[in-house]
Amino acid sequence: MGKKDVWQGTLALMVLKTLQTMGALHGYSIARRIEQISGDLLSVNYGTLYPALLKLEQEGYISSEWGLSDNNRKAKYYALTRAGRKHLQSETQAWDETTAIIARFFAEGKAGA
Amino acid sequence: MRCLRALLMRLGGLFGKDRRDAELAAEIESHLQLQIDDNLRAGMDPAEARRQATLRFDGVEAVKESYRDRRGLPWLETAWQDLRYAVRVLAKDRGFTAVAVMTLALGIGANTAIFGLIDAVMLKALPVERPGELLQVKMGEDGTVFTNPIWEQVRDRQDVFSGLFAYGGDRFNLSPGGEARYVQGAWVAGGFFETLGVQPALGRPLTKADDRRGCPATVVLSYDFWQSEYAGSPSALGRTVSLEGQPFQIVGVAARGFSGMAVGRPMHVYVRLCSEAIVHGKESWLDGRSIWWLTVVGRPKAGVSPQQATARLKVLAPEIFRATKPQNWRPEDIEGYTKRTFETGAAAGGISDLRGQYSNALLALMGVVGAVLLIACANVANLILARSSIRQREIAIRLALGSGRGRLIRQLLTESLLLSLTGAALGVLLAQWGSQLLVRLLSTSRSAVTLDLHVDGRILAFTAAIAIGTALLFGLAPAWLATRVLPNAAMKSGGRGTIDGHSRFGFGKALVIVQVALSLALVVCAGLMLGTFRKLANMDPGFRQEQVLIADVDLRNARYPEPQRLAVFAQVLERLRALPGVHSASSSDITPISGMAWNGEIVVEGYQAKKRGDSIAYFNQVSDRFFETMGTPILAGRDFSDRDGPAAPKVAIINETLARKFFGQASPLGRSFVMERGPNPEPPVEVIGIVRDAKYGTLREETKPTAYVTERQAIEPARMSHNFELRSATSASDLIPGVRTAIAEVNPNVIIQLKTLSLQVEESLTRERLLAVLSGLFGGLALLLAMIGLYGVMSYNVTRRQNEIGIRMALGAGQTTVRTMVLGDVAILVALGLATGIGLSLAGGRLVERFLFGMKASDPAALASAVALFAAVAALAGYLPARRASRVDPMVALREE
Repeated sequence: MGKKDVWQGTLALMVLKTLQTMGALHGYSIARRIEQISGDLLSVNYGTLYPALLKLEQEGYISSEWGLSDNNRKAKYYALTRAGRKHLQSETQAWDETTAIIARFFAEGKAGA
Repeated sequence: MRCLRALLMRLGGLFGKDRRDAELAAEIESHLQLQIDDNLRAGMDPAEARRQATLRFDGVEAVKESYRDRRGLPWLETAWQDLRYAVRVLAKDRGFTAVAVMTLALGIGANTAIFGLIDAVMLKALPVERPGELLQVKMGEDGTVFTNPIWEQVRDRQDVFSGLFAYGGDRFNLSPGGEARYVQGAWVAGGFFETLGVQPALGRPLTKADDRRGCPATVVLSYDFWQSEYAGSPSALGRTVSLEGQPFQIVGVAARGFSGMAVGRPMHVYVRLCSEAIVHGKESWLDGRSIWWLTVVGRPKAGVSPQQATARLKVLAPEIFRATKPQNWRPEDIEGYTKRTFETGAAAGGISDLRGQYSNALLALMGVVGAVLLIACANVANLILARSSIRQREIAIRLALGSGRGRLIRQLLTESLLLSLTGAALGVLLAQWGSQLLVRLLSTSRSAVTLDLHVDGRILAFTAAIAIGTALLFGLAPAWLATRVLPNAAMKSGGRGTIDGHSRFGFGKALVIVQVALSLALVVCAGLMLGTFRKLANMDPGFRQEQVLIADVDLRNARYPEPQRLAVFAQVLERLRALPGVHSASSSDITPISGMAWNGEIVVEGYQAKKRGDSIAYFNQVSDRFFETMGTPILAGRDFSDRDGPAAPKVAIINETLARKFFGQASPLGRSFVMERGPNPEPPVEVIGIVRDAKYGTLREETKPTAYVTERQAIEPARMSHNFELRSATSASDLIPGVRTAIAEVNPNVIIQLKTLSLQVEESLTRERLLAVLSGLFGGLALLLAMIGLYGVMSYNVTRRQNEIGIRMALGAGQTTVRTMVLGDVAILVALGLATGIGLSLAGGRLVERFLFGMKASDPAALASAVALFAAVAALAGYLPARRASRVDPMVALREE
């Protein structure tokens, strides 16, 4: 079975969460990190990742800066802004509520079966 | 908020493309490098590490593409591309572009001009503080002006307005003697400037605080008047200006842009109502209980709604009207008077006679120019259709290369939009020029119309809106049809558009039918308006207007006491009669078609009025030889003479209508009537003559029953000014220098104003002239556009059918046959269009009926002549393509395939 692509709409949230946990990161390690956390079950499509990063930056949730990587390569580093932190917080809450509701529905279904 | 930020960033992303692309490339390169490093660490050899990294990245160019889409605004970028392409395409086909742009400029320009006029006359708010709050105090629909006693009562009793004022428009003579020079102004009372929130540009305004009867003669000038008369010099303050021969001290200049309450009739001098007696003396209007001349406007207190204000005024009404009962009215009239009540109406746009006079006419014209624009749209749509057959290959290739139909339609619509916006820009220029012309058509010698017609945001928004609407209207259908081709079919068929020719051509023909129908309706409308104007201008008004000069002689500055005035006027008349070139001269209170009127009820023995108002007659007070001067024949009896002096029995001359209505079949000569004038009995007036009917106030009116009494038996004290009429042996204007000298010889301080009777009559037809000129102009334009459309479609049709025609001719069809065939097509199109147009004219006729005089909207002659005109012009427009078709050389046509 192949790896799953990241669901549309959730990628932005994963990026924000990753930046919150790890601090400033470049695009490649954001992608690697997301794949690792998922236990290599997810595969990040770069054709979506970079536009998503751009969108978050345009919205002011993240900022970018060129820097040097561990092995001395020039790379563009992305970091969470204050607005991004707040946005992540509210989105996390909304996500929790949604999953809780969905979970309750599934629990209901099981009980009936 | 976030969306807006993102949008701004993306707008920013449209610029600095190269730098941003380089940065993206660097970012991707660093990404790849990082992955290669990881791959090397995992033990791959360098070549494999690079290959794997690139594979994993999954198409660098695709990532770049989607990144770019997110970076900028793709639709904006393609719109920009479309626009540049459209400019190139249109620049290449200059002939088409020029015709389309000119057509649209005329259509849009006409709409902008008329809309600008409607905006200025009907929609614009006054340039005052919060105009939306202002309320005009009225008495129902007709009673919009009040007497001064009523105004004073309202002012003292009301408690709902925070500011309230009254004004009466008037014109003031600036000249101390000789030829009069008038300026429009107003008598103002209460807080005129305070309530409107108009600040002085200089000095101080007239305030409520110093509004006391007998106040000194002070004046506030309008900014424009200050500029033109005093060159904007501050030293004007404190100087005096002569108004009606009285010195008024200049105390202030109103804010720039403010020119009173009336749209189109700027007021330039504002004088206090409380100083009115200085000008009018004993004849002051301040205590006149039946002199209706003041307009009352107020601003309700904060929190008081217009409804509440009206309700409060209604409560006050009975007291106010009881306290101001007019003297000398009959008891039943007084009873009606005390039952009157107040209403209010919005005054945000000011109060203007222009609006009442022209609103309907302007709306009708808006309909006309709307139709012109539709015709223009149909024309351009047809041009685009014809062109799209040439572009079929281009479109087919683009479709074959994979562009979507939506994308192509967008491209074609961009071209349409570019055309219509260019047309609109030109149209605004045309409108600027046209509306100046319109205002000149509205102005008369007595009352110049000045309108603020500069192009503002509102007019531009209107023009932009119709430009875009127009582009959709003429662009959408052709774009839809043009992209409905199968690529392979279009490319196979060579240059000539034969694909789907039938249905497409059906659309073009339908457009021509619509054009013909609409423009026929406009031509019929123009015919009706022109007919109305001609009927009015050529009618026999019952007097001969040619060669008559009217002199308005004003004794105000000559300061004669009232008893002397009659003698002075008699002396003037004598002098005028002695002038060389004067065939006859007379004097009168009222001149014909001047808009002035004097009427009242009369009692005739044996005549029973069926309803109220049925015994109203119109009066004029004239000298002897008045009828001779006016050219109105005396049908029976005699003219006034020396016998009819002040002591002799009262006599009158009546017109035919009065004779018929009040005296029936029997001869009225020697019989008498009584003029009802208040509660006291009046002496009977004996009829000594009957004159032919003549128009009194307007040319349109039904002839009024009119009685003429003689000046020598005047019932009222002589006024300060009087009209004299002179019939010239040559032309009216030849008399002017002589009249000036003759009157100056009597007294150089006498003020005179001269005008020919023909001009006075002509100016009463201003609205009719406006409608006739404009509908004629637009009708002609519509006709021209329709014919261009017809010609275009037919010649395109001939080109398209060249092969077919060639074959027919090769098989033996003669030139005449071919010509007849093409003309037959034209005839069918035009006939269909005309039939639709006749229906349209009949249906739309009701809309213009109210403007007509002496003709019906369904006037068969107007319809028939419009149809004949159309048929003739259509024959011409169709003949040229038909002739071209008949000259097709069969060999050339066939070889071309």
